[in-house]
Amino acid sequence: MTSRELLALLAVAVPAVAAAVVGLVPRRAVGAAAVTGGVAGATVALALTVVALARPDEPFVGKWVVVDAASGLFLAVVALVGLGSVVVSPAYLRSIGSSVVREHRRPRTYYAVLLLFWAALAAVPLAGNLPGAWLAVEATTAASALLVGFTGSPRALEAGWKYLILTSLGLGVALLGIVLLAAGVPGGGLGGLSWEALPSFSSGADTALVAYLLVLAGLAAKIGWAPVHNWLPDAHSEAPPPVSALLSAALLPCVLLVAWRSEQALAPVVGEATAQSALVAFGLLSLAVAIPFLWRALAWKRLLAYSSLEHMGVIAVGVAFATPLALAGVAVHVVGHAIAKAIGFYAAAPLLAHDPRAARHQVTGVARTDSRLGATLGISLGALAGLPPSPLFASEVLIVAGGFQAGRPWEAAVAAVLLALGFLGLAHALVETTVGNAPRRGRRAVARLAPLGVMVAVATGALLVLAGLAPFLPDSDLVTALRRGIG
Amino acid sequence: MSGALLWVLVATGLAVVVVRRRTLAVALVTAQALLLAGAAVVVDESPGAAVALALRGVLLAALFLFLVERTREPRPVRAGVAPLVRAGLAVLVALVLTWLVPVVGLDSRNADRAVLTLVGFGLVVSATRRTTLHQVLGIVLVENALALAALELPGSASLLIEIGVAVDLLLVTLVAAVFHERIFAEFGAGDTAALRSLRD
Repeated sequence: MTSRELLALLAVAVPAVAAAVVGLVPRRAVGAAAVTGGVAGATVALALTVVALARPDEPFVGKWVVVDAASGLFLAVVALVGLGSVVVSPAYLRSIGSSVVREHRRPRTYYAVLLLFWAALAAVPLAGNLPGAWLAVEATTAASALLVGFTGSPRALEAGWKYLILTSLGLGVALLGIVLLAAGVPGGGLGGLSWEALPSFSSGADTALVAYLLVLAGLAAKIGWAPVHNWLPDAHSEAPPPVSALLSAALLPCVLLVAWRSEQALAPVVGEATAQSALVAFGLLSLAVAIPFLWRALAWKRLLAYSSLEHMGVIAVGVAFATPLALAGVAVHVVGHAIAKAIGFYAAAPLLAHDPRAARHQVTGVARTDSRLGATLGISLGALAGLPPSPLFASEVLIVAGGFQAGRPWEAAVAAVLLALGFLGLAHALVETTVGNAPRRGRRAVARLAPLGVMVAVATGALLVLAGLAPFLPDSDLVTALRRGIG
Repeated sequence: MSGALLWVLVATGLAVVVVRRRTLAVALVTAQALLLAGAAVVVDESPGAAVALALRGVLLAALFLFLVERTREPRPVRAGVAPLVRAGLAVLVALVLTWLVPVVGLDSRNADRAVLTLVGFGLVVSATRRTTLHQVLGIVLVENALALAALELPGSASLLIEIGVAVDLLLVTLVAAVFHERIFAEFGAGDTAALRSLRD
């Protein structure tokens, strides 16, 4: 076993073992065990990221494990958001009144399932073959659905149920596509369906195209691409905020990576332009569907959820353009979106403590009643809107420019118009949320905001560094490796 | 795999679409899983896959029957769509799927059609039934179809992947069972019609 394989194994095993430890330790040690496991899991994952990104031109490609530039990048996102979610969870658990499990078992169950979700999530970008990636994605469904319905409220049950049924059916469709592919790959069988073997599909371009579309449509249900995104706003808004952060900032992009790898592997069989056009269609449709909601006065977490729909659309379009400019934009967008979105969701718990109406209604003028909380919401929303110097401004410019570079001017132009409309919607929400009219009554001072403040300061620094790096990325080894893929 | 066995699998799938009683639907999907396990031994000569399928079928049946026993509906939950219309819709979806998908590439063209038909039936069950348990049974039906496809794939199947798929299905069903119980406790019925408060 090579050092990369070992690190990959540990990146999945450490959070899984931490979940088992959380299940066994005395009740008073549960929180500490979870945070320790989270720190250990993030350390291993980030070590693997450093190894993968230090030599992006030398990927490790095994039958079950792949460690390349893309897996390094996405694993870093999983690790950082996973650790952030574990760290902010004690404050969340203190704030809830009820849940699906009895009070004395609540923290133990929550942390154990959260860490199992993390473990399954870490396995997705590291999976060395399509069925393995499918298994990991399906495993994330089981763990995350429980967390979505964790509060046990009628709305949470509805959101969790929708999420479970729609994504499971979607993944069933994706598995049908995988079976089609398995039938046409020399050697046969699901086990032989490695990323490297997919380009040798030999049952004809028509069958390959149908299989590719089935895989893509099935994964779309999990990524939250329109038109199969119905579960997304409900699950994101009803899940505990640390879980919403993991769902939006880590799960959706990781599943999108599986779609991306499938596109890269099958493009030689179905035709590069056809494979990319399917992604462009999902991407532009997601952008178009998200925009009307970004213009509406929505509750904070639902607004963030629709912003996820928009951002998964942007990333899909960037992946499809596949030029150095576009893929540099994708790399910046995945990381920048994760940081900004995680901060936004982490701020949801103190926001609810500040103004309980925020659960169902748009909140306005938060900076007028709590400047620290208002600043946090403003930084998150400003970054997500793509307001300069947000790295998402740089990434969106790179992706649109990449479209022109790819010889797809019409698609790039449509994306630019939709992004501008999305920006206006979120910019309006930003102004209203931070400095709009604030109600005089019903708001409370929020205690213990310091940990979130530290996190926001670090995140803001990271966002600025990312924005500074963005112009240099198109010529980097990282982007060259992302373009090449596994093959 | 013989044509007769494929017909039996398709017929049981169609029966799941139309039957009203939850126990009957559970019995039908379990019978499908056991038939597939038998076929794995006799036709495919892969005892590992047979054990995984049989174990999965029996465990799911036990779980579903346990749930039915614990959550007796106070009154029948009517499906939004009449049985005959459901059957017609299921056949239509199956025909469209077999028309859209050129060739799956399984050992026989009949197996191709049976897999696509069962996937279509599963999707229709989940989409048209209101009871939570039937919606999960739709997913199981789709997974049974895919298990059939895995058995009919040319070349050697990966036992690890098949066990993984079975374990994943069990996990998802267990989580669905938790939700079913909570929904029943909260709304007094396992009726998804009650789950309509989240809208924009």
